[in-house]
Parts: sequence; C-alpha cells; structure tokens
Amino acid sequence: MSGYYSPEEAQDVFLKANEAYAREDYAAAQDGYEKLLSHGHGGADVLYNLGTTHLARGDLGRAVLSLEQAKKQGGRAPDLEANLAVARARQVDKVVGATAEEEFLPRVTAATDGTVVAWTFLGTWVAALLLLLVWRWLKPGRRTGLGIVAALLFTVAVPTGALLAAHAWVDETVHEAVVLSPTLVARELPQPGARSIFEVHAGLKVRLLEETGRFVRIRLPNGLEGWAEREGVAEI
Amino acid sequence: MRRTGSSGPVAVLVGLALLASAPAWAAGLEFYQTVNREEVGSEDTFLLTVVTVDAPADAKVKLPRSDDFEVVNSSRSTQRSVSWSGGGPANIQDVTKYVMVMRANRAGKLTIPPSEMTTAGKTHRTDSVQIDVKPGRLGPPPAQSGRQQRLPDPFASMPSRLPDPFADEPEDEPTIPRGDSDLFLRSSLDRDEIFVGEQVTLSLYIYSRVDLSSVDAVTMPKLEGFWTEEVESPTQLSGEQKVVDGVPYRAYLLRRRALFPVKAGTLSISAAEADITTGFLFAGHRVHRVSNGLKVKVAPLPPGAPQGMSNANVGAWRLSVDVSQTRVELGQPITVKVILEGSGNVKNVNPPKLTGPSALKIYDPTTTDKVAPQRNRVQGRRVVEYLVMPQRTGTFTLPALEFPFFDARARSYEVSRTDPITLTVEPAAGSTALPPTSSAHVADSANEQKNVLTSGGLRPVRYQARFVAPSEPPWKRSFFVPLVLAPLGLLAGAALLGGVRGRMATRTEADKGRQQAKAARKRLVEAEKLQAGADAGAFYTEVEKALHGFLGARLGGPVIGLTREAIGERMTVAGVAQERRARVLYVLEACDLGRYGGGGDAAARQKVMDAAVAAMEGWA
Repeated sequence: MSGYYSPEEAQDVFLKANEAYAREDYAAAQDGYEKLLSHGHGGADVLYNLGTTHLARGDLGRAVLSLEQAKKQGGRAPDLEANLAVARARQVDKVVGATAEEEFLPRVTAATDGTVVAWTFLGTWVAALLLLLVWRWLKPGRRTGLGIVAALLFTVAVPTGALLAAHAWVDETVHEAVVLSPTLVARELPQPGARSIFEVHAGLKVRLLEETGRFVRIRLPNGLEGWAEREGVAEI
Repeated sequence: MRRTGSSGPVAVLVGLALLASAPAWAAGLEFYQTVNREEVGSEDTFLLTVVTVDAPADAKVKLPRSDDFEVVNSSRSTQRSVSWSGGGPANIQDVTKYVMVMRANRAGKLTIPPSEMTTAGKTHRTDSVQIDVKPGRLGPPPAQSGRQQRLPDPFASMPSRLPDPFADEPEDEPTIPRGDSDLFLRSSLDRDEIFVGEQVTLSLYIYSRVDLSSVDAVTMPKLEGFWTEEVESPTQLSGEQKVVDGVPYRAYLLRRRALFPVKAGTLSISAAEADITTGFLFAGHRVHRVSNGLKVKVAPLPPGAPQGMSNANVGAWRLSVDVSQTRVELGQPITVKVILEGSGNVKNVNPPKLTGPSALKIYDPTTTDKVAPQRNRVQGRRVVEYLVMPQRTGTFTLPALEFPFFDARARSYEVSRTDPITLTVEPAAGSTALPPTSSAHVADSANEQKNVLTSGGLRPVRYQARFVAPSEPPWKRSFFVPLVLAPLGLLAGAALLGGVRGRMATRTEADKGRQQAKAARKRLVEAEKLQAGADAGAFYTEVEKALHGFLGARLGGPVIGLTREAIGERMTVAGVAQERRARVLYVLEACDLGRYGGGGDAAARQKVMDAAVAAMEGWA
C-alpha cells in the first residue's frame, strides 16, 4: 500500500467522493476515486464506485472498463453484475452471428480466483514434499499416518498446480480490453488509410490479439477481427 | 440687367439677396446657373439650378447637355412676386427655376456647359460651371449632411441610461443606380458589424418614379451562414415618399427579414431579383431588376462564455418555470413549462433541459414558439412543456435551471436562473380508503396507482472500501517459483546424501576387510619367519592369529573366542566352500595341537603354513 494517504485519509477521500456522488456531482466523485487509485489505494470497491460514477455520467467506455477491472480484482458481486448489465444494455453495439465458443482455459480461470489458487497450490505442495522428507526418516512402523496426509496434500496440490498453470497461461496470452472511443474503426490492415471493416463503439469488450505500431488487432466475441487504433481501447 | 456666370452657393445667396433688397434691378432680365457643390464624387449627385428672372413669355431656355454628365431628374418651378415701394407702381417679378439632379460620368475637372435662353431673336448664355469630380462617393453636400445631424441629447451623459432595445437602426442611404434610375431594387441592412447570433435586419425595397402595377416574382438572396426569420412580407404594394439624393421616389417594401449569423467572418448576401410590371392595363410592361449585394462583418462572441453557452443564445432573455401543481397524488401528472422569453433568435434558442430524480419520470417535451416582431426586432417566447409523472411517493426537487446568453448591446454575458422546485407526491386517496374485502375490490386496487419500485437503474455505490494496492499475481512474484522448487531440491538433496552415505559405508567395510586380510597376511609372513625357530608355540600362535584376523575380515566380524564349530557355522552362513572351510578348521586344529602338543617337526609346520596360505588365497 502506498504511503501517500494514511488509512484514515484514504477512507475520508472515499467518503467524500461518495457524498459527491450522492449530490450528483459526478465530476468531483470521479476525481476522488481516481485520486485513491493513482495513489495506490485501489481495490474492487473503489473501482466499482468509479465505474458506477462513469455510468451515471454516461461515459460508457470507462464505466465498463472500471467495472470489469473491479470484477477481475474482486470477483463477481450482485451490484457489480447489475451495473454491468445496465452498461451492456446501453451499448450501441450488438454482436450478432455465430458466437465463438470461449476457450476452456479462459472460462476456467474466470471462474476461479488466481490468488487463492496460487496460495493453495504453494501451501499444499510445500507441505506434501516436507512430509515426504520426514517420512524417509521415520521408522517403518510410524510412516503410515504421515504417508496418508502427504498423499492427501498431493491430491490437492496437483490439480491446483494445473489450475495455476492455466491462470499463468491465460494471464500471459489472453488480453481483454474495452473500447473507450465513442466510435472506433476496425480496419483490414494496421494502416490509417486501410479499408474499414466495421465500427465498434464505447463499452464493447474485445480481445487484443497483437500489436504493431499504434494499431492493435481486436477480436469481437463473435470472432470478427480487425485492426484498430491502440488509444481507442484500454486493457482491463 | 443681366447676370451671367455666377456660380456656387454664395452666388445664389447674393443673387437672392439682391433680388430681395434691390427692387430697382428687378425689372431687368436675369439669367444664370449655379451648382450646390463644387466638389463631388463620381457616385454622388448634385443640383444644377438655372434661374431666369423676368424672362419674356416667349423665351426658350435650353438647359446644358454634356456627355460628361447624366441627368437623373429635372424639375421646373415658377414664382411671381409683387411689391410696392413708396407711392410708385407695383413691382412685379417673375422667377423661373430649373433644377436638375445630375451625376458625373467620370472623374476629373469637368465643365458644365452654359445654358441658353433665346428671346426676341437674341440668345443669352450663362457662364459655364467648373466642378471637380473625385472617384467614388464623397457623401452628401455639407449643407445636406448638416441637416441630418441630430440635436444633442441632454440625457446622453446620464450614467443610468439604458440602451433602447427598440431603437430603430438607421438604414444606409441608397444609391441611385446608373441606367435604371426610374425604377430600381435596393437591399439594405440596418447595420454592417454584428456578433454571431445577433440580429441584423435585411430590407428589400423598390424605388420607383413610375407607376407600378404589380410585383410578379421576388427572388430573395441566398442567405448562407444565416438563420433567417420573416419580419415583414407585405401582400400589397404600399409606397412611401423618399428622397434619394434630392430625387423624390416612391419606396415600396417587398420583404424584411431578420438574419442571425451562425458563424464569424465576413458574410456575403447575394443580390435579390424581382420581376415588376409598370403602367396600367395595356400600357404596362414588365421589367426585371436586380438589387445590390451586401456584406456584413460578423465578430465571434468574446471569450469568457459561461458553461453551456451556445452561439444561438444571443439577445436579451428571461428564463422562468411554471409548474401546474407542487403537491400531487401518486399517478397524477404534473405539467412543467420551461419558458424563455425575450428578444433574439426565438426559434433557435434551446432552453435548459429539465432534469429530476429517477422517482419522477419526465416525458419528452413539446415546444411551442410565439414570435412577435416589434420594430423589426424578433422577439417572443419559447415554451418547452414537460409532462412529469411521479413514480413514488415522497418529496422530490426539480433542480434550478440556468440559461446563459450574450447581451450584444451590453456586450457582456448574462445568466438567467430559476429557483429549485419542490414537489410533494402523496399516496392516492383511494388506495387506502377501500379495504380489499372482496374480489371486486381486489381488482380495483390492482388498477390503482402504485408506488412503483422498478428493478432497473444503477445500483448505489459502495459505502465502505477495502483498499488494496495494485500488485502482481502471486505466481509472478520473485519468491514464488523458488518456493515451489525448494522442497523438491530438499528432497533430492536428502536422497543424494543418503546414497552417498550408504556408498561410503559400504566402501569402509570392504576396505576394513581388505586391511584386516592384508594384516593377516603380514602376520602369516611373520609366522613363516618363526617356522624354523625353536619356539613352535610362537609359530602356531602367530599362524592362528593371522587366520583369526583373516576370518574376521572376511566374515564381517571378529572370530576370536569362537569355537571351531561356531566358526564353521559362520563360514557356512557366509557361503564359504566346503574345502576352504575344512582347510581353515584343519589349520586352527593344527595350531592348537602344535601349541599344546610339542610343536611337531618342520614338515608339520610347513604343512600347517601351506594349509593356512591355501585357506587365505583366493578368498576375496
């Protein structure tokens, strides 16, 4: 945690931003939440409030971005899902056609908390191996109980290890982003004058595939792909 | 008397003074011409006055003609004056004036030729008149411009003097076009420098000195860059007398429009056109006339505009809100009118949008405009009417509204504000009066207005936060991978250590055996030295020790003190061959016999020695 604000000061900034939101001074509320984030006092709650403020102001792109970041950090929550649903309902774009099935690993990682998985794996793995070490030094008659505990720990450690590997792979290879520009043109090639394939609008969630120069290749949920300007999207 | 060659207004005054003060001269003939200005512009008109005094009745006056000048208009007037002086006869004087409105066709020092008067076979000539013609327009003559000056305003220096919003803006003086001086079309603006969004009034007139029958078609100019509003569009021709450069015209208004520029810069207004029928019945004919083009300089609004300011918000405005009722029952609609009234572009201003809490459903408004131009200024009111339907009971506030605008006359920004409006929504009276005691009542109550609590809308913000610093996922932190691999390394290290230790232990036992065997063989060598000695007991003892040491090394443990049966059994267990076992036991027995039975001879000693060597050899 950054030392810019003490915990009491951070709480005070948060409450003042909430009060500004209550009196519909959304600019002041947004300013407060962004101050907390920029000084290292973030978290799912601050991101949720920031996303809700953006939504109240009508900035759909940043609203979806903040709410998705809150979801990524803090997992699902009823209020978060409700406001995300409101944001999706306000989106201009409606992605139609055969929706490409989301890959298995991203689905699995989205359903599990990477941090919990990592710590679970580390704990069970280390404990199991240490018990195995102890097991070697014990006389044959005393090894049974220890062996059972070690086997149980291995039973947990192996699947969580596989899940952790999936998280690491998804974290490294899958990059999701949100369209921020009111209108973003996707082109056939990463060139400003290339033929336009389609347009997307603020708030749409896309996947970033690769990047070259000031262009990124985006993929829509239905598999549609094109090159768009990098500054028009923000990674979650 | 005859006067010729007088020129200039001074000469006119002198001549008139002489006429008035010297009746003795009045009986003589006078003939002269004058102009009202000695210096004019090529676009200006001037007056040439030819005067005859007491000219005979048969006198013929020939007015001057020159290609350098155009005669725009001419008129003739005659006056007779009778005066008595003392007791003499009455003095009668006839004065005839020919007034010509002229305009030079070119610049330079030009000469108006003399006028001629022929009477009784004699020709009289006036002097020619010199006039300096400058290119362009110099404006009206000093005497004329002097007449247009207004009297000083005694209230001009009062500090509280406010601008009159209805003051007529002076329209510029029209110029008589060459060629079409009897009938021409004229566009004019009431001002030529304005701000964006400020009104400028365009007027289109017909100036005519002939009879008009009808105006068949009017094509207004293209007004690109303007928002236009009709101010006056007469359906019948109604003329008024106007004098242009001294020439009387009938001026007929065709159109008058208010223009509101929407962008800054110098904007052009193209020429208007009209088809006009002159004369009456069969004598009439149709002519086409094109007006002059216009330009207007439009300045952008000055900096420092308040928030929400639009270019259309120029003028003088007052914002107000009218609410039908502030206390209603749930389900009863409320009408809220946002009213903007004042002078300016009424149809293009946008009153602020009414907003309210989500408990009040505000439907899309309807807009009505009432434009009532006064003194050529567009003014009126724009009313935006909202229907507000409460969705819940409670007390709600419609926030204050603000309308910023630019007052072009005061050259400053103003903001017109309204007060917040508090609305109280109460439960419908019928909803609690009738208890649902029957199915009919239940049905009725279902139709009553309910306190609608919809599931839509944003969820509120969270009132508590758990602050978390941004961090890397655990598996990306530097300690994670080493911590995962450390137990594996520890396990591998332990296994490696165990193996090394086992291997080292094995090697020690073998080495020990080999050392013991080596020591046993050395001891046997020592015994061989004692073989030929006198002490037989020492020889056998040494052989026995050597064999015991050897057996201890090979059998993995000391055998001293064991019976020969025990030794034989251990050798059996160790898998020693039968022949070697027998040889060992023979040597041990022979040593016992030799030590305690007298030692035997040299051959017996040699036999024991050979048997001991044979027992040790080949036992690895």
